[in-house]
Amino acid sequence: MNKPIMDDTTGHDTGTLALAIRNLDFWYGSNHALKDISLDFPARQVTGMIGPSGCGKSTLLRILNRMYDLYPGQRATGEVLFDGRNILSPSLDVNVLRSRIGMVFQKPTPFPMSIYDNIAFGVRLHERLSRTDMDQRVEGVLRRVALWNEVKDRLGASAAALSGGQQQRLCIARTIATRPEIILLDEPTSALDPISTARIEELLDELKQEFSIAIVTHNLQQAARCADRVAFFYMGELVEVDTADKMFTAPHAKRTQDYITGRFG
Amino acid sequence: MMSAPQSQSIDAGGWQRGGAMAVRRRLVERFVSLLCNVATVVVLFLLFSILWTLVTQGAGGLALPTFLHSTASPGTGGGLANAIIGSCEQTGLAALIGTPVGMMAGIYLSEFGQDGRIVMLVRFVSDMLLSVPSILVGLFIYLIIVEPAGHFSGMAGTLALAVLFIPIVVRTTEDMLRLVPRAMREAAYALGAPGWRVILSVCLRSARGGIMTGILLALARISGETAPLLFTSLGNLNWSTNLNEPMASLPVTIYQYAGSAYDDWVQMAWTGALLITVAVLATNILARWWLTRNGSAQQ
Repeated sequence: MNKPIMDDTTGHDTGTLALAIRNLDFWYGSNHALKDISLDFPARQVTGMIGPSGCGKSTLLRILNRMYDLYPGQRATGEVLFDGRNILSPSLDVNVLRSRIGMVFQKPTPFPMSIYDNIAFGVRLHERLSRTDMDQRVEGVLRRVALWNEVKDRLGASAAALSGGQQQRLCIARTIATRPEIILLDEPTSALDPISTARIEELLDELKQEFSIAIVTHNLQQAARCADRVAFFYMGELVEVDTADKMFTAPHAKRTQDYITGRFG
Repeated sequence: MMSAPQSQSIDAGGWQRGGAMAVRRRLVERFVSLLCNVATVVVLFLLFSILWTLVTQGAGGLALPTFLHSTASPGTGGGLANAIIGSCEQTGLAALIGTPVGMMAGIYLSEFGQDGRIVMLVRFVSDMLLSVPSILVGLFIYLIIVEPAGHFSGMAGTLALAVLFIPIVVRTTEDMLRLVPRAMREAAYALGAPGWRVILSVCLRSARGGIMTGILLALARISGETAPLLFTSLGNLNWSTNLNEPMASLPVTIYQYAGSAYDDWVQMAWTGALLITVAVLATNILARWWLTRNGSAQQ
């Protein structure tokens, strides 16, 4: 029950950190959306982020790949350490950062191009591959997300013709095709049916062998099922972070307890 | 388990709910649908009677000489060849000039401007150009090109048409780009794509059906314009593809012939009108086909 935070029973190196947030504050204009957050993301583990709407969990996720850069008036201070650098530094190349920290969104967002090109698009931004290497990369990631058998005969067809669940798996394939080290998922199953959701969750379990994963979810069962560690956010503050087991059986804070027992949210 | 409904509740008068109000609502609905149907019939009748008139009056001139011979004096068997080539050349070139300019301005407004002053100004001017009477555009080009050059020219006509063409393309490009979901842009940025790639490979591709439709509709719009050509390319009785000389065009030829006293000229005017209408109709159908083809590819 009371597993230590760094668990080594899986045989993986879980002692290292993929990413570390230190004293992070974030503002939407004058709205102080995240307050003094410090949080570790262990390598090759799934870190779940839960909390009521507007608590700042998605905001936090969008800081980790500097997505907030797209919108003027949004500002972050503090440190987010990744591979020896503070990714908030203005001198950082965000395009390289985003190829190393990928993101999957709430709604599947296939690009208006073929299934093949949806995956090749991201790869071509960062690597020059020969036709055969690219074919292999595409096949590899499609197999990885268990989509290959469903689409191998129509790689040239528009990705928009796929079902919602297939589209979301394509988006995950597209994200891992650039070979990131961390994958951020922002409520990746909230637009999907239960069967598609289950397949994505299985996939996450498999992907954490290779990638470090941060997932924001509204679904507490999902957090309990998928996450190794869970962080609970409330009104811009990080209330508590612990292993999933402890978080859902013996939370420390009263607010955590109220939230996971459904008293608010 | 709920208990079985009481027998008296079966006849509780639930279906009479609303009473007179419901009856009135049904009557109003029937009346309004009738009005809509009548309006549709009126519009279709007008459209088809125009087409019918054009076909019956214009078909008489649809013979090979019309396409082979240039306009000539009454009674000498002229055609419309110079007007057809002039129209094609001027509208085609106007589209070639207007498409890149209009698209780039539309991209600027949608992607780079946010809410700056320059953007507000460009959008305001572009929208104003959309509604400027086309004869003013003709006069404007007359003042800045025809008068300094000392002669009418096909180039001046082309530029006048381009001025009409550009704002339509600006508006559709901006509107269509704004329809591209924010999530799709973010997904492209999240892969590490630089802004220009996101615009070119994702946004424009997503909006291409709508933009293409806008371009074709703009083409249809300028191919019937007469007023801006009167002061610019003027018209030419002979075959000419030289942009430095006055150039004939179908609308101007129709304008000159329709009011003439010669039967064969009037006939040519009808035929010219039929040709323009068919071309515009074909362009519109093409535009719709493009839109549905691209729309269905997105499903």
